[in-house]
Amino acid sequence: MIVKLLAADFLKIKRKGLWLLTVLGPFGVVLLQWFNYELVPGRREWLLQRSDDDWLFYLQNVSSFTPLALVLGIAILTSLAASIENETNAWKQLVALPVPKMGVFLAKFTVLSSLLAVASALLFFFTWLLGIYLDLGSATPYAEIAKFSFYPYFASLPLLALHLWAATVSNNQGIPISLGVVGFLFASFSFKLPDWLPWKWPSLQNQWDEPLVNVVLGIGAGAILYTAGMLDFARRDVK
Amino acid sequence: MEYIVETHNLTKRFGKEIAVNDLNLKIPKGEVYGFLGPNGAGKSTTLRMLLGLMRPTAGSVRIFGKDLKKERISILRNVGALVENPSYYSHLTAFENLEAVRKIVGAPKEKIDEVLELVRLSKAADKKVNGFSLGMKQRLGIAIALLNDPKLLILDEPTNGLDPSGIIEMRNLIKRLPKEKDMTVLISSHLLAEIDQVATYVGVISKGKLIFQDSIKAMRQKARRKIRLKVSDANNAYHALLEKGIKTDFRDNVIYLDEQSDEAVAEVVEILVAEGYSVYRVEEEQPSLEDIFLKMTAGGDGR
Repeated sequence: MIVKLLAADFLKIKRKGLWLLTVLGPFGVVLLQWFNYELVPGRREWLLQRSDDDWLFYLQNVSSFTPLALVLGIAILTSLAASIENETNAWKQLVALPVPKMGVFLAKFTVLSSLLAVASALLFFFTWLLGIYLDLGSATPYAEIAKFSFYPYFASLPLLALHLWAATVSNNQGIPISLGVVGFLFASFSFKLPDWLPWKWPSLQNQWDEPLVNVVLGIGAGAILYTAGMLDFARRDVK
Repeated sequence: MEYIVETHNLTKRFGKEIAVNDLNLKIPKGEVYGFLGPNGAGKSTTLRMLLGLMRPTAGSVRIFGKDLKKERISILRNVGALVENPSYYSHLTAFENLEAVRKIVGAPKEKIDEVLELVRLSKAADKKVNGFSLGMKQRLGIAIALLNDPKLLILDEPTNGLDPSGIIEMRNLIKRLPKEKDMTVLISSHLLAEIDQVATYVGVISKGKLIFQDSIKAMRQKARRKIRLKVSDANNAYHALLEKGIKTDFRDNVIYLDEQSDEAVAEVVEILVAEGYSVYRVEEEQPSLEDIFLKMTAGGDGR
């Protein structure tokens, strides 16, 4: 059943710009580093002098924008995906089909988390490509690139669950959009936030200096928020 | 009689307001059931509960003899629905809209062309729904509802917003379906004329309560004729008739006769003339279904 719902949901996101956004996000994040390293003559040499490990320094530069792009991307993607059903209140048509309501929610979540996973994979690829182009050294640290590309994704799953719930249950899109704006501001000042706030997690910072903590927190809290959102969605009347 | 839909004391409350109150719908198989009531009477809420979109506050729904609460999905497999304004994905073509639903209900691919043909949208299949007229969107909504070959088709105000030719087209389609496809149709409307044209069975709802439920023939029988008499000095004429033992209704200076045989009418006229009253008019008045409907709904429960 979930496979059928997924097939339908992937058809519905056609021509809505979700795929474009999925590519644009990681591309923009890496493009900023291309500007950083290459736009001003001599800047690249200066940056390379600032650290012993050129790859790591470069990855840290890339990852300073990843959380922002993720938080913003989640807000926009969920809002777009929900708008597809909200526009003509197609929820009433969708939920009156022979499908479990929880499956409807799960399909939406799966589509969005897949898009974000694709974006993370693209981030990995673009990061690697620019790294090679910048000639940062022969030993390419694939594991590190993967960490910087995929850890923020897992750490941001609670935000995805929260946004999806907010976008699907509110008739007024002002609420999820406000949530997105607040999230973006939070993510911009993530270094000042307490460790327990999910908006800090995609930055991979915490007091123990162990990014894996954020990944585990993200998956755990993501599962809890997802379940709560799904149960609430299934409980509600469709107007 | 075999009932496709049966509700038992179905009730829905929104806070303190009771939208649907102890509703006992019985929809016989193969009929076009007209669900009639003024706006805000609880029609849409009832239909939403039949589709599992809303949870009843109390009472139960049985469709195809199965409990909706327990077997919602297996019931919905044989139900097609168009609830209020048509829902569609405006950035997709008509074909893609149908495909998005077809993938879920698991109908064969040929079905899409078949339903498009049925609602006469074949030519617009590859156009984005964005540019469709309301009538076309409504027809697309019906096509979507027909994708899974439903045994029960639920249409909520299907002619809302359609132009006259669209209404006629919709009407013909609704009339055809039970015969051709062995379907039971539940159609709601606030317009009696609309229901009168297509329905074979009627349920009237007012303020959340079902105040009438029977065949449309039975409803028409309620529309009994009366003879209207306009005479000079009507008040005294009414009393004069009463003295002779002829009971009439007297309203707005007009005398209404219940008895309608030719002899009875002739007798009344004769008496009036003999008593010196001038008879201006003797007319037959047939209250329309509309009058009956208005009377029923105005009273709240005029059973």
